[in-house]
Formats: sequence, C-alpha cells, structure tokens
Amino acid sequence: MLGYIRFELIRTARDGGYVVFGLIMPVVMYLVFTDLGLAPGDEHDAAIYTMVSMAAYGGLGAAFNNGSGIAEDRAAGWLRRLRLTPLTPAQVIAGKVVTGAVGVVPGIAAVLLTGALVNHVTLTPGRWLAIVVLLWAGTIPFSLLGLGNGYRLTGQSAAMANLMTMLVLSIVGGLWVPVSGFPSWLRALAEWTPSNGYASLSWHVAFGAAPGAREIAMLTVWLVVFGLYAMYGYRRAGRTG
Amino acid sequence: MRSDESPAVLLSSVTRNFGPVRAVDRITLTIPRGQTVALLGPNGAGKSTTIGLLLGLLAPDSGRAALFGRDPVQAVRQGLVGAMPQEGGLIGRVTVRELLSFVAGTYPAPLPLDRVLRLAQITQLRDRRVDRLSGGQAQRVRFATAVVGDPDLVVLDEPTAALDVTARREFWDGMRDLAGQGKTILFSTHYLDEADERSDRVIVVGRGRVIADGTSDEIKRVVALTTVSVTVTGETAWLSALPGVRHLDIRGDRAHLRSADPDATVMALAQAGAVRNLEVTPADLEDAFVALTTEDAPIAEETM
Ligand SMILES: Nc1ncnc2c1ncn2[C@@H]1O[C@H](COP(=O)(O)OP(=O)(O)OP(=O)(O)O)[C@@H](O)[C@H]1O
Ligand SMILES: [Mg+2]
Repeated sequence: MLGYIRFELIRTARDGGYVVFGLIMPVVMYLVFTDLGLAPGDEHDAAIYTMVSMAAYGGLGAAFNNGSGIAEDRAAGWLRRLRLTPLTPAQVIAGKVVTGAVGVVPGIAAVLLTGALVNHVTLTPGRWLAIVVLLWAGTIPFSLLGLGNGYRLTGQSAAMANLMTMLVLSIVGGLWVPVSGFPSWLRALAEWTPSNGYASLSWHVAFGAAPGAREIAMLTVWLVVFGLYAMYGYRRAGRTG
Repeated sequence: MRSDESPAVLLSSVTRNFGPVRAVDRITLTIPRGQTVALLGPNGAGKSTTIGLLLGLLAPDSGRAALFGRDPVQAVRQGLVGAMPQEGGLIGRVTVRELLSFVAGTYPAPLPLDRVLRLAQITQLRDRRVDRLSGGQAQRVRFATAVVGDPDLVVLDEPTAALDVTARREFWDGMRDLAGQGKTILFSTHYLDEADERSDRVIVVGRGRVIADGTSDEIKRVVALTTVSVTVTGETAWLSALPGVRHLDIRGDRAHLRSADPDATVMALAQAGAVRNLEVTPADLEDAFVALTTEDAPIAEETM
C-alpha cells in the first residue's frame, strides 16, 4: 500500500491543476492580497488574517483536486485495473485518502512559510502548531465532498464540479475577500458555509481566541453530510463499474 | 481434490445477464494448469463477459467460478493472476517504468523489471509517459502489467488488437516464453488463424455459449466442411444421409453438400450414379467460422 501511496503522490505532483490551485495560486494571491491591504486591522493583523485565508484556500484546492482524480481514474478504467492486482479495495481507498491528506500539506505549508518569511508574521509556537493542525485536519470534509463528486460524476464533469464548488466555497466563505466586507445578506449566508467555518477556527486561534463551538459544531455537521455523500457516490460507482 | 491439484480455471454453468441480454449462458469449462487456451468468437459473443466472470470482476447470476480451487477474488489477492482487460487500465502522469514498478510491488514475487521490459518489447519506452504512447505501444505496456507480477495464470482479452504484424510476432514470441515456463494462459481473439497457431486448445463461443471446444485440428474438422456440389433432379432427401454429409442445401437444381469427409461423399455419389457437374470446393475456414458462430447449429456435442 505504501507503493500505491508513493505512486499516487508522484501523479499528484505532476498534476497541473494541483500545482496551480493547491500551491501556486494561494501563495501568489496571498502576496497580492496583503499588498492590497483588504483585510481588517494593521499590517501585521492583515498578514495573519490573509495567511489563514489563503492557506485554507490552498487546502481546499488540493482536497477537491484529489476527488477529481478519482473520476479520472474511473474513466481510464484504472480502478477496474487495480481490482486485478493483489491490492484490496480498502487499501485502494485508504491509499487515496492518505494521498489526499498528504497532498494538502504543501499548499498550506507554502502559505504559512510565506507568511513567516515574507510577510513577517510572528505567532507563538503553540498558535503555529494549532493552526497547522486545524488547517490540515479541517480539509477532511472537503476531501469527502470532492471524492463524492469524483465517484458520482464522470471525468470532465467531476473536475468542473469540483473546481466550481471550490471557487464558490472559497469566495462565499470569505477566503478571498473577508466577510466583513460583504453585504449583510451574503454575510449571513457565508457564516453557514463549511469553508468559512474551516477558516474561522484558525482565524480565532491565530488571534488568540479559542476555536468557536459554533464553527466546530457546524463543521462536524458538514463532515457527516459530505461523508454520507461520498459513501453514496462510492456505492453508485461500484454498481456502474 | 487437493487445492494444489485443482485446475487453473473452473467455470461451472455460469450465467450472466445484462438486462434482457444473456451475455453468458451456462458456460462450463475447465482449464488445467499449463494449458494455453484461445477463447474464439465474434463481437458480442460473450468473451469479455466470460473473462470478467472468471476474474471475479463480475458476479454471475448463477453458477460458480473458481481459480486454482478458490474464489477468483481471493486468487487475485494472492497474486496468482495477471490480467489485461480489453480496454483501459493505463493511467496518466507516470512513466512506463513507474507504472510497472508499482504493479510489480503489489505482487509477492514479481519478475525483474528488465525481463518484463524485454518480454513486452518496451525496453526503449521505459522512460516515456504512459499517456503519450501510440495505440500499439500502449497495448504492449498493458500486456507488461499483466505479466510483471509473475502470476501462474495470465488472462488477456484481445491482446493483439492494436498490434502491427511485427509487434504481433514479437508478442507471440513472448507468449511462447511464458507458456514454456508452465504458465496457464487464456486469451481471447476474433481470428481463427491466431487461435489455431498459438494455442493448445480453442474454445469457440457464440451467443454466450460454448459452441466448440477442442484442439485447433478438431475445431477445424468441425467448422471446415468441404462443399460437394452436384446437379440433381427429383428426390433429394437421400443426399443428406450420405457418408460425411452434415448439411444439405438445395439451390435450384444444384445440391450443395457440406461434408466432413468429402472423399467418402463423392464415392457414395458415384455409386449412386449421381455424379453430374461435380464440383468440390475446399473449406474456407473464415466462412465456416462465421457460419458456425452465427447459425443455430448445436455442434458442441460432436467435438467433446
Ligand atoms: N456492461 C454491459 N451492459 C450491458 N450489456 C453488456 C455489458 N457488457 C456486455 N454486454 C452485452 O453482452 C454481450 C456479450 O458482450 P461481451 O463484451 O462479453 O462480448 P465479446 O465477445 O467480448 O465481444 P467483443 O469481441 O466485441 O469484445 C453483448 O451483447 C453485449 O452487448
Ligand atoms: Mg470483448
């Protein structure tokens, strides 16, 4: 199974969509947005706030891209081919999940490093650690949503659906422009999105607050919903080959 | 029977429907270890479905499949099986070498990579991206993924479909190599001559059933009936009772006798004084094969 994970990681690293949406765009946008000064507070606060936004955005990009890969695999007959090797289906799924979990790391790390090295973000080691863990673990619901789309839809439409979902969640969730700049009706909507909940956990921690109970509860609900969706997609894909 | 003596492939009365289509209809067959078997049949005959059933990719509606005396899925898990589906199974963004190393790594005792590259004639392609190969090159890589694990049973669905003449010959050289090591090989094909030259045994399938099963000579004897034609007048029914005659076809005043033993048929015609405008046409294997797999001729009994 390690061989399978290694194999999938090689494929991920060579995937243009992954490199652009999971790595380059978040870093570039971070640098641009901090220059524009869109975020609230002084320069240092803005650098922290936007760092979390863009790390979350990179996490989303990589997580959804992993799901699109499943649709590609299915279309190429690769999942069927894997069933003719000694690997078990459980090993294949676990391998894909691990690949997804590893795949979100470079984007998040790159944005955080850019924050620390270029935008001179300083946080206590405890807070650094907390936001790394929260940003990383918080990608799980999005990975599940992406996998659900990947299992349910065919190659091109899955990639499209995942890209659109990723962009809508990023923008409406306030990862690009902070929700404080939204009209009030959109802000009300934004606060129910999983992407806003995901980033809010780390925003709170980065500014010294505890992660809000409301966000944790909401994200848990989304986790269950997307988990069920992924399971539904997997079952459906199993029936249709 | 001890499990290490059980046949490589066992299908007992397996049936599989796709909606109203009966793709495989009570197929029963046993392939002993070490045999090279061709599954011969036209488009839609049920070859791929049969292969899917015996590999455990498809569940039978009734009947049972076993490989080496165990459940097919289990046999695949234990690395006893290598297979090449009719299409698909290659994935992008990896090199040939990376793909083969990965597949090899899933098997308990794979072949050395260099050997597989040579066997499949893809040594010079090893650093090429899998998604940038020509159809025939991709086909050879797909073949390599089926054998890299050094499995005891190799199942290939139309392995020569995209290959040119040279590649075909090189492919069969590789297959001879594998058969020489005692591997059990099952491959499907549309071509009678390919089945004829490359296998120990030919199983002809049509409309989901086994139509004929035997060595290629036996198959040819059944399918390749010589046509003896004579001009006849009056009663003709007696002609079908002549020695060797399997089929009688009257067109106008000509009787066409399809015979398994043309010498005997002609002799009998001569004795009956019925030789008029005699014409003997040797069998056309391909025509006979087409007739066999499209007609409703229950020939299976004759070859068993
Ligand atoms: N997934 C499927 N859904 C519906 N019908 C199917 C499916 N797979 C096969 N069939 C039908 O079952 C029959 C046998 O198909 P199969 O693919 O086994 O034929 P084949 O002998 O492999 O043909 P070919 O030489 O064209 O590959 C055909 O009538 C086909 O249309
Ligand atoms: Mg087929």
